[in-house]
Amino acid sequence: MKKSVLSFLILALSLVFVGCSGDDSGSGEAKETKGSIDVYTHNDSEEMQDFVKGLKEETGIEANVLRLSSGEGWSRMKSEAPDFGADMQWGMLHSIALKAEKEGFLEPYDSPTWEDVPDEFKDEDGKWYGWSYWFNLLAINTEILEEKGLDKPESWEDLLDPQYKGEIVLPDPGTSGTAYLFVSTIMQILGEEEGWEYFEKLDENVGQYAKSGDAPAQMTAQGEYAIGITWDQAVYNRIEEGYPLETVIPEEGVGYDLDVVWMFKDTENRALVEEAIDYIGSEGGMKKSAEHRSMVTKNGVKGNADDIEQYLIDYDAVWAEENRERIMKEWRERF
Amino acid sequence: METVPTVKKRLRPFQAKWQQFWSEPWFAIATIILAAAILIFIVAPVFAVLLKSFGIGTGQLTFDYYKEFFQASYYWEALKNSLLSAIITTVVVLFLSINIALYVTRTKNALSKSFKGIALLPLVAPPFIFSLSLMILFGRSGIVTDYVSDLFGGQFSIYGFWGVVVAQIIGYFPIGYMLIESTMRNSNADLEYAALDLGSNQWKTLGTVTLPLAKSGIIKAGLLVFVMALADFSNPLIIGGGEQFLASEAYLLVVGQHNLELAAVLGVFLILPSLIVFIFQTYFLKDSNVGTISGETGSQNVPLSKSVKAFVVTISSMFIAFILLMFIMVVLGAFVKIIGINNTFTLEHFNNETGWDSLSMSLYVSFISAILAAAIGILQGFLFARKPIPGKKLFEFLTLFGLAVPGTVMGIGYVLIFNGPPFFLTGTVMILVLNMTFRKIGVGMEAAISKMHQIDTSMEEASSDLGAGPYKTFWKVLVPLMVPPFVAGFIYAFMTAMVSISSVVFLISPDTNLVAIYILNLAEQAKVGLASAMSFIMIVIVLACLGLLKFVEKRTGIRI
Repeated sequence: MKKSVLSFLILALSLVFVGCSGDDSGSGEAKETKGSIDVYTHNDSEEMQDFVKGLKEETGIEANVLRLSSGEGWSRMKSEAPDFGADMQWGMLHSIALKAEKEGFLEPYDSPTWEDVPDEFKDEDGKWYGWSYWFNLLAINTEILEEKGLDKPESWEDLLDPQYKGEIVLPDPGTSGTAYLFVSTIMQILGEEEGWEYFEKLDENVGQYAKSGDAPAQMTAQGEYAIGITWDQAVYNRIEEGYPLETVIPEEGVGYDLDVVWMFKDTENRALVEEAIDYIGSEGGMKKSAEHRSMVTKNGVKGNADDIEQYLIDYDAVWAEENRERIMKEWRERF
Repeated sequence: METVPTVKKRLRPFQAKWQQFWSEPWFAIATIILAAAILIFIVAPVFAVLLKSFGIGTGQLTFDYYKEFFQASYYWEALKNSLLSAIITTVVVLFLSINIALYVTRTKNALSKSFKGIALLPLVAPPFIFSLSLMILFGRSGIVTDYVSDLFGGQFSIYGFWGVVVAQIIGYFPIGYMLIESTMRNSNADLEYAALDLGSNQWKTLGTVTLPLAKSGIIKAGLLVFVMALADFSNPLIIGGGEQFLASEAYLLVVGQHNLELAAVLGVFLILPSLIVFIFQTYFLKDSNVGTISGETGSQNVPLSKSVKAFVVTISSMFIAFILLMFIMVVLGAFVKIIGINNTFTLEHFNNETGWDSLSMSLYVSFISAILAAAIGILQGFLFARKPIPGKKLFEFLTLFGLAVPGTVMGIGYVLIFNGPPFFLTGTVMILVLNMTFRKIGVGMEAAISKMHQIDTSMEEASSDLGAGPYKTFWKVLVPLMVPPFVAGFIYAFMTAMVSISSVVFLISPDTNLVAIYILNLAEQAKVGLASAMSFIMIVIVLACLGLLKFVEKRTGIRI
C-alpha cells in the first residue's frame, strides 16, 4: 500500500517536471538570460510578445508580462503603492503617466538612447518616455454594410444616424484606454455639455460595450457588428490578415495618445529596467515598435502608416488626466 | 462516543472535554493550528469584506455605500440578473445531470460510457471558453445564425442574459453531474425493486423513490452550481453584451475603479443568497439518508424501462452532442487561422511564450494547493470524526462555508487582508496557493468524514490494544485507509484550481500569471485563436493528468 502511494507521488511529481520542461523548450533561442523583470502593459498581447522577444534577443533580459487594460492597470497601481507588483510599465496612456507622476509613483532615469527623441514626447526628468503614438479609428465591415444597405459613415456625427441602430460596438471607458481617448476627444471637440448629449444619442445605436479596446475591431472583423470604434493598429492588423474591413478617420479629426514607458519607484531591478528602457529607445527597439505601430517617436524611424498627422486634433492629455475621474463617474451613472 | 472516565464525571462538561482534548497533545496542537488557519484564510477575508462594506477601516461606520447601491438602478439590475441566471442555470443543470446520470448509471454500453466521459469534459476547460464557441456559432453573424436567418429571416443575438445562461449551464454542468452521478450510482436499488414489485411503474418510482433517495446529493450539487454561477464574472464579461451581473460589476469596480467599498457591498449581496442556501441545506435538509451509502453491497441498479429510457436518452444525447460541438469549436479555433473567416490550418497560435509560462505556473500552483487541500481536508476529517474537539460543529460549518463563499468575495477579502502588514502576501505564489487550498479543503474533509463513518472504530481499538499509541495507530491504520478520499480530494481540487478565476484574478502578478486568467484576457481582446489554443493545451494536460491517475489506479489497485 505504502509503495503505491509513493509511486503515485513520484508519477505526479514527474508530471509537473514534464510540464515545466515542456515550456522551456518552447521559449526557443537559448541566449543566456541576465535576469528577469516584471512588466505591466496595456499593449495588445500579440505585439507585446514580439516586443518581449526583441528585448530578450538584444539584451538577454527576460520580461514577465501582465496585461491589464489601462483602467485596470491604473487602479492596480494605486492599490499597490508604494510596493508595486512590477518593475516597469511598458505601454500606458500618457494621461495616466501624468497622474502617476503626480502621485510620485515614477522613478526618474536619464536614458542616453532617448536623446534624439523630441522633448514633447518625454518627461524632462526622465520619469516617462513616449515611444509611439496611436489614435482612434473606425473599423467598418464592408460586407455587413452592403448586406444591410447602410451608408458608410464619414464623421463622428454620422454615427448618431438611426440607421446604425444596434450596429456599433465600442469599448467601455471604465476599463479601456481606447474608449477613454474617444470619450475625451468628443468632449474636447464638442465641449462637455454637447459631448454628453452626443453620447446619450450614440448609446441608442450601440450594440455592445466591450471590455477591451481591441475587441471592437475583432468583433467588427468577424461581422458581429458593422462599425467598431477602436484604435489604429487593431484595424490595420486585421485588414492585413484578410478581414473585410475598411478604416474611416472621422472628418472632425481623431484624438491621439502617446504610449509611454516608465520605471516604478523603488524597483529592486533598477539596472535591468534601465537597460530595458535604453533598448526601447534604441534604433533597434524603435524599429521593432514601428513594425506594430503607425507612428513611433524617434526621428528617422517610420511607423507602418503614412502621414496621418493632418487628421489629429490638438488633443489635450493634461485635460484628460485632470478630468478623468469625474467624467468616468458620470459615465457610470449615465450608461 | 461518550467515553468520559467516571472519575471526571464531576467536572463540568466543557472542562472534561477540554481535558480530553489535550490528552493527545499532538492532535490537539494540529487541531489548533487548523482552526487558526480556517479563521485566517476562510473567515477573516469574508469578515473583511463585510466590514469594508460599512466603510470600516477607512473611516467610521457608514451606510453610504449601501445607499449608493440601492439608489443605482443598474446594481438592482445586476442583482436581479445574477440571481435569475444562477437559478435558471442550477435548475437546468440539475435536470440535465439527473437525466444523464440515470442513463449512465443504469446502462452498460460503450455509448453510456462515452457519455460519462464527455459530460465531464467541460470541467477541464476554463468555464468561459464556451462563450467563445457560442459567439462563433450563434453570434450576430455566427455559423448557425447565418444559416438560420437564411432559412427563416430575422436575426437573433446570443449576447446578453441568455447567452450567459447557456454558457454557464455548459461550464458548470460537470460539477453538478459528478455529485449526482456518484449519489445515484451508490443509491440503494432494493427499495426501487420493492416499489416496482409493488406495482409502481418506473416514472412513479423515479419520483417517489429514486430521486428522494438521491435528494442530499442533488441538493448539494444544486448549491455548488448555484454558488459558482453566482460568482461567475467571466461569461458576463465576454458574452453578456453589456448586461450587468453582480460578480462582473464587483470585478470591474475593483480592477477598473479601485472602489473596494462598493465592491464589498456587491460582495455582501453575492454572499447572502449563498449563505441562505447553504444554511438551509445544512440545517433544514439534514440527510434523510435511508442507508443510501451502502457501499458496494447493494444490488445492481434497476435498468430503465422503455419509455423512461427513450426520454432520458433523447435529452442526454442532445446535450452531450451540444457539449461536443462546443469542444470541437475550441479545437478548430486553435488550429485554423481565423475560425469561420480563414480556415487554413496553422500552428501559430501555439507559439505563445507568455501562455506557456502561465500554464506552468498554473500547474505548479494547482498541484501544490491540491496536495495541501486534500491532506489538510483529510486530517481535519479524521480529527473531527474521531477526536473530541470543543466547537467542532462550528469549524465544520466554517470549512464547508469556504466552499459556499463566491470566489469574487474571497478574492476581494484576500486583497483587503493580505495587502499590508502583518501578512504582506500580494503578488506571491503563496497567496495563490493559500487561496486555492482553503477554498477547497471542505471537499477532502467531507470525503474523509464519510469514510471514517464507514470504518468501524474496532480497527483502531485493535491497534491500540496491541500496544500502538494513538499516533502510531493514525499512521499505520488510518492513513492507508485514507488514500482513496485523498486522491478524490486531490483530483477535485487540482481540476478546479486549474480553471479557477473568480477569486485568484485579484491576486495575480506578472510573475505569477495563471493560464485561465491569461486565456480570459485573450478572450476579452477577442483573440479567439490564441485563447482556443491555450485552452486546448490546458485541456490536454489536465486530461493527461487524469489518465495518469487512472493508470496508477489500475496498476496499484487503489480505487479512486
